[in-house]
Amino acid sequence: MMRLLTSAERRYLIKRLEDQHGVEDAFDDLVLIRTGQGRIRATTKETYEAACRLRRVQQVGLYVAKMVKGDVILSIEGSQLLGATITKNIIELSEEEAEEWMKAAPIKRSEKIESRYVIARCGDFYLGSGRVSRDGKIYPQVAKWRRIPEE
Amino acid sequence: MSKIMLSDDLRNYLNRLPDVELDLLLEAYERPLPEAFRVNTLKASEEKILERLKSRGYSIEPIPWARHGYVVSGGGDLGKSLEHMLGLVYIQGPVSMAPVEALDPRPGEVILDLCAAPGSKSTQIAQLLRGEGVLVANDISFDRVKALSSNLQRFGVLNCVITLVDGRKYPRFAKGFFDKVLVDAPCSSLGIISKNWGIARAWSIGIVERLSELQRRLILAAFDCLKPGGILVYSTCTLTVEENELVVNWLLENREGARVSEIRLKGLRHRPGITEYNGVRLRDEISKTMRIMPYDNWAEGFYIAKIVKEGG
Repeated sequence: MMRLLTSAERRYLIKRLEDQHGVEDAFDDLVLIRTGQGRIRATTKETYEAACRLRRVQQVGLYVAKMVKGDVILSIEGSQLLGATITKNIIELSEEEAEEWMKAAPIKRSEKIESRYVIARCGDFYLGSGRVSRDGKIYPQVAKWRRIPEE
Repeated sequence: MSKIMLSDDLRNYLNRLPDVELDLLLEAYERPLPEAFRVNTLKASEEKILERLKSRGYSIEPIPWARHGYVVSGGGDLGKSLEHMLGLVYIQGPVSMAPVEALDPRPGEVILDLCAAPGSKSTQIAQLLRGEGVLVANDISFDRVKALSSNLQRFGVLNCVITLVDGRKYPRFAKGFFDKVLVDAPCSSLGIISKNWGIARAWSIGIVERLSELQRRLILAAFDCLKPGGILVYSTCTLTVEENELVVNWLLENREGARVSEIRLKGLRHRPGITEYNGVRLRDEISKTMRIMPYDNWAEGFYIAKIVKEGG
């Protein structure tokens, strides 16, 4: 199942991204597509128009985010795309922590985090969303196929 | 070191091919392929990514014929690195980068990769489009499309469409739609035996003939999907004439507007396409196609043809 986000859905996504991560007018020059399980993909207008001409289309554009119980979970690429516009609930990882993040290993932070989700960054690279648990650990939302395999 | 064994059929076939030095070919099959990758300039600057890799102990040498392509040595397993998982690099054989360089994608073009999975060449096309234009990546296999989808995601490609269609049927709905088409056709893989010696054991002329028939249908479909003035690149990673020159020759005989064009790739050692085979004379322009033996660059063997559709 694949359809364009309605304007109400789009407004809600943008509002949630602003509340959660301080992003203004997220993805404003892109077409947003809703696929299964609350997933949102982004693409260009030209690409979307080409897709409409073709048959047996499996996917269009890039998976950027997922809506879960009103929260936005950004994929690695979604967070990279928004990049420096992310100003809230962002944590900085060391290289070693980034490796752990990409193994989906929980990251412990000393500071208190109020939000349910944070975005991780390592230098210029954004690593997507992590879920903050009650014990203060952050659980990276990295897809299984994307994880660095354990030795 | 163990020695590769070729079946008598394969040995006889290779011996009959013009311009093949069998001893060198066997030596190439017994050597591991060089490790190579592309830097993903869709995600970060080339300098920044190379700096990261060098700081992690990788030694890197540019590949002359491939923009953003490098041969790598030292360091850890690049396939398990943070850079790979983040999509900052894409691991791909050095000669495998040549077909897309021959296609020369330009920002703004609409390009079809007809047999796209697992997506090495699709991601390369996307990189050269720089986010402008459209990449349509197609494959016939649902399982292979999953790998294609993962690789395009990891690479961060916004302007792509993935379709699951038998490539032979593509002109039914996309005739004359594309500026450029790449057909990296399924083949008998004699150019990459060093990756898997089992390819040599499984080889038979029957398989080659079946593949050749499929390749003829695919090249024709790809050509029909081009706009007038469009460019088609046909490539395989095999050495048989049936899957290479004879396929291109068949296109030339069946489509009046098809013309073979010269390919210029800096530093890639190769030989001209074969124009006489089994007593049959092929079109002279086939000599403009590129036949790359594994021992030419001590890397993969490939065949590349660039075809222009007249009338643009």
